[in-house]
Amino acid sequence: MGSGSGRGAFRAGAGGQRQGQKESGKRYFFRRRKVCKFCADKIDYVDYKDVKLLSAFVPERGKVLPRRMFGTCAEHQRKLTVAIKRARNIALLPFAAE
Amino acid sequence: MSDRLYEILFIADSNLGEPDVDALAAQVQGYVEKEGGRVQKVEKWGKKRLAYLVRRQREAYYVLVVAEAQPTVVKEIERRLRVTDGVLRFITVRVDEELRKAERRRTRRLAQEEKRRERMSDRASSSYEGEGVSP
Repeated sequence: MGSGSGRGAFRAGAGGQRQGQKESGKRYFFRRRKVCKFCADKIDYVDYKDVKLLSAFVPERGKVLPRRMFGTCAEHQRKLTVAIKRARNIALLPFAAE
Repeated sequence: MSDRLYEILFIADSNLGEPDVDALAAQVQGYVEKEGGRVQKVEKWGKKRLAYLVRRQREAYYVLVVAEAQPTVVKEIERRLRVTDGVLRFITVRVDEELRKAERRRTRRLAQEEKRRERMSDRASSSYEGEGVSP
């Protein structure tokens, strides 16, 4: 499934830059894309109240990170997004932090 | 139509006193029960820091009510919360479907693991003499 499989040639281990000047210059590590944390821990319900769990997927600025950062599977990423948005509405997570 | 399970989480003005917040929670509970619902649990998280300013406040009381009720009951609770000055935000989530699916997935997974274990032990007992593959 999914975007990451089979394109190891482009996504070198260090997660180096792809061509294109649009890149911000940051390097991300795309490893661990084999395992989705939720699938591994066998979590079925992503609780919007679980700030600790959710905040692992949200950086300082409050954005929802793309799933390639953590290797989350599609199904769980969708649930995660819903949970994060709910948490934001009830002020458990920020919308955009300065 | 049977009752559905809902989570109602609301935040109350930090300037209110604890008893006022308790009263709000009690009102929600009371209404649910009056309308034939059943309150499963009430969690008071106390004052928590808010992720952003809400009505110029940085913290507020969080209260969670989990209850079984009819959707019309929940609708009315929402209406009342909206009207109440002390309530800053609220969110109601229907959780019965999700939990049911999660439960189904879990039981299915356990069943699969059981089957796998049986298959392995079968194979072990038929082809090998000693210990089979460890589960």
